[in-house]
Amino acid sequence: MKKNTMVSIGGLIIAGAIVFLLMAATPGSSGVEITLKELNGNQQKYEENYVTVEGLLVEESIEWDADKIELQFDVKDNEGNKLHVTHNGVKPDNFTEGVIVILQGNPAKEQGEFIAETVKTRCPSKYEGQDMENYDPESHKDKLNKPSSESEGEK
Amino acid sequence: MYLVGNLSIYIGLAISIFSLLIFIIGIYKQDQRFINSGKGGVLAAFICTAVASAILLYLLATEQFQFQYVHDYTSSELPLIYKLTAFWAGNSGSLLLWSLFLSMYTVMVVFSKKMKGNPMVPYIASIMLTNVIFFFFILGFVAKPFVLLDEVPIEGKGLNPMLQNPGMILHPVTLYLGYVGLAVPFAFAMAALILRNMDDFWIKMTRRWTILAWMFLSLGNILGGQWAYVELGWGGYWAWDPVENASFMPWLTATAFLHSVMIQERKNMLKVWNVSLIITSYALTLFGTFLVRSGVLTSVHAFADSNLGLYFLIFMAFAVLGGLYVLMSRYNLIKRDAGQFHSFLSKESSFLINNLLLVGAAFAVFWGTIFPLVSEAVRGTKVTVGIPYFNAVQSPILLSMLFVMAVCPLIAWQRSSAKNLRKNFLYPSIFAIIAMVLMVVIGVRKTWAVIGYGVIAFLLITHYLEFYRGVKARRKMTKENIPVALWRLMVRNRRRYGGYLVHLGIAFIAMGIIGSQNYDLETMKTVKLGESIEIKDYKIIYEKLDQRKEGINDIIYADLRIFQNGKPLGVMEPEKVFYGNWEQPSSEPAIVNSWKEDLYLVLSAWENDGRATFIVKINPMMNWLWLGSIILVIGTLFAVWSGKYGNITPRYSGSKREVS
Repeated sequence: MKKNTMVSIGGLIIAGAIVFLLMAATPGSSGVEITLKELNGNQQKYEENYVTVEGLLVEESIEWDADKIELQFDVKDNEGNKLHVTHNGVKPDNFTEGVIVILQGNPAKEQGEFIAETVKTRCPSKYEGQDMENYDPESHKDKLNKPSSESEGEK
Repeated sequence: MYLVGNLSIYIGLAISIFSLLIFIIGIYKQDQRFINSGKGGVLAAFICTAVASAILLYLLATEQFQFQYVHDYTSSELPLIYKLTAFWAGNSGSLLLWSLFLSMYTVMVVFSKKMKGNPMVPYIASIMLTNVIFFFFILGFVAKPFVLLDEVPIEGKGLNPMLQNPGMILHPVTLYLGYVGLAVPFAFAMAALILRNMDDFWIKMTRRWTILAWMFLSLGNILGGQWAYVELGWGGYWAWDPVENASFMPWLTATAFLHSVMIQERKNMLKVWNVSLIITSYALTLFGTFLVRSGVLTSVHAFADSNLGLYFLIFMAFAVLGGLYVLMSRYNLIKRDAGQFHSFLSKESSFLINNLLLVGAAFAVFWGTIFPLVSEAVRGTKVTVGIPYFNAVQSPILLSMLFVMAVCPLIAWQRSSAKNLRKNFLYPSIFAIIAMVLMVVIGVRKTWAVIGYGVIAFLLITHYLEFYRGVKARRKMTKENIPVALWRLMVRNRRRYGGYLVHLGIAFIAMGIIGSQNYDLETMKTVKLGESIEIKDYKIIYEKLDQRKEGINDIIYADLRIFQNGKPLGVMEPEKVFYGNWEQPSSEPAIVNSWKEDLYLVLSAWENDGRATFIVKINPMMNWLWLGSIILVIGTLFAVWSGKYGNITPRYSGSKREVS
C-alpha cells in the first residue's frame, strides 16, 4: 500500500474521533430554546430540560433580597403569558422595563415558576442610547441613597 | 459634507465597477493600457473610501447631530477619542471601515514592488474589486453612513457605555484588519488557479499575507477577550458566543493553512487542500459577518437586526461557489506532480495531524454555532448549545494540538529514525513527568490541569532545547557569546525561530486558560460597612461606599481594603458607573494582578443602610495569558520581518502573459 494512502487512512481515523467527540458531547451539553408560550403550556414536559427562554421584563415586579442574594422578577410576552423567575444572583447590567431578558435554567415544579441559572439582558437596539430629549440630568443624582434595585425607571 | 460623503461612495462604486470591467477587457485583449487604467481605478476607489472615512470622522468629531449616524452613536460630552471611535460603533460605519481596509489592501497588492510585472496582478485586482464593489453597494444602498435627519437634534444619543473603553480603540480595528486581510490570500489563490500556476512565489506571497491577517485576527480576539475581562464585570474573557466563534473559526483554518503550506513548499503536496483552506477561511469571515449582522442566533453581542446578513450570505454563496468552480476546473492540473510521504514519523505527518486537529476544531465550533439552526429546521425545536459543549469538545482537541506542537521540533523532515527519536525525546519526557509529579505534590490534582500543564512543560523544554542546540552549534563555529549567538541564530532563521516564539506564546496562553478555567473561585456576599469577605487567603474589608462625579457620569464606588495572609495589599475601588444618558449603570471591576492569580472585585448592588453586595472572584494565571499574547505578536512580527538574511522572495516562475 502506498504511504500516502496509509496517511489518508490515519487522517480519517482522527477525523472520525473528532466526529465521535462531537456526537458524544452534543446532546449532553445542550438544552432547548423555547418561547414563553410553549413553556407555559407544557411546564411538565420541560421539567427535566435545561431551558433557554426569552421574555420582556416587568419592572415593578423586581424583588431583591440582598442578604440571601436572591432576585425575583416577572417576564412576559406580547400575548400576556407570564413567568415568575427566581435567580440566585445579582441583577445584570441594563435591567430595565421592557428589556429582553434571556433566561437559562430549569422550570420549577409549580406552574409559571422558573429557576434561572443565568440572567442576561439584550436590548433590541443594543448599541444605541436613548434620545437626549428624555434625558434628565438629575436622574443619576443621589443614587447612593437609593438601593441599587430601585434606582431605575424614573424617566 | 452630506453631498461629498455620499458622492464619494457612489463615485467609488462606479469607479470600481468600471475598473473591474476594464481589467477584464484588458485581460481578454491582453492590452497593458487597459490594465494600467484599471490600476488607476483601484487607487481612485481607495481614495473614495478614504474621503468618506475622513468625512465621517470629521462629522463625529464636530458633533454634526443632523447626521443620523452621529446622532445615534455620540453625544457632546463624549471624550474626543470615543467620538472618533464611534466610527465603528454601528453597522454602516463598521462596514465603511471594512471597505477602507479592503481597498487599502487592494492598493497595497496592486502597487507592491514585488508584484511589478507579475501577470497575476490583473486577476488579483479583479477579485479584490469584486469584494470592494459588494461593500460599496452595501454602503450605497443598504447601510448608508451619511443620512440626514429631518430636524436637527441638539444632542446625540451617546455611545453605549460598554463601548467606552480603550478596547474600543484597537479591538475592532485589529479584528477587521484580520478579517479583511483574509480576502487577499483568497484573491491570490484564485488568480493562481486561473493562471494554472502555484509556484514558490505564490506560496511566499500568500503566506506573508495570511500571516499578517492571522496576526491581526489573533490580536483582535485577544483584545476582545481582554476588553470583556476588564469591562463587563463577569470575570471571563471568552464565552463561545456565536460572534466570538465567528472570529475564532477563520483563525483556526488560517493557522492550519500556515502549516500545511509548508508541506506544499517542500513536497509539492496538498495543493487542493491548501486552496480549500484559503477559500474556507475567507468564506468563514463572510459567514461570521452574516451571523453578527443578521440576528439569526441568540447572541448578546449582536448589532441591531437588519437584512444586511442576507446580503452577506448571498455574497458568501457566490464567493464559495466561484472559488470551488475555479478549484474543480483546475483540479487535474494541480493534482499532477504531487510528492509522496517517505515515512510516517516525519515533520510532514505531524503537520498533517496538526491540520486535521485544527480543521476538526474549526468544524466543532461551526457545528456548535449552527446547531440551533439545524435542529430548528429539522426537528422544530431550537436546541441550545452551551459553553459546556464547547469546552468538552475543544479541550481534548486543543490539548492534542499542544502536544503535536511540543513534539514537532523533535521530528525531522522526511524521516526520523527510532534512534534519534529516543535521543530527542528522552530529556523532555523525563522533564515533563517530573513536572507532573511535582504538580500533584503541590496540590494541582485535577486531571485536565495535570495533563495540560504536563504537555506545556514538555513543549517548553523541547522548544528550549531547539534554541539551546542552535546556539551551541553556532558558538562552536563562531565563538560568539551567548546573547550574540542567539540573536544571530534567530535573525538568520526568522521564519523558524519566529514560529517557535509564536508556539511559546500559545503555550503561555494555554497556561492562563487552563489555570483560569480549572482553579477559579467565586463568592457572592452582602456585607455591612466594616464587615469582611474571605476568599482563599484573602481578606477583604468593606470600608466605604461613596459617590463622585466625572463629567456627566455619576460613579458609585466602594472602598475595599485587601489583605493576603494578613499582609496589606492596599485599597481597591470597584465601581458602578452611571453614564450620561444611560439609565442603567455599568460595572467597573477592580483587579489585583499578580503572576499567580487575579483578585477580581465587582460591586453589584447596594441598599439604603450601606449594605452592599460584592462578587469576588479569583482567576488564576491570567497574566500568563496576556504575556503569551504579547509573545505571540512579537514572534509573528519577527517571522515576517524582512531582514538582511533569507526571506528572499522567489522569482515568479508561472505562466507569462502580455499584461501585468
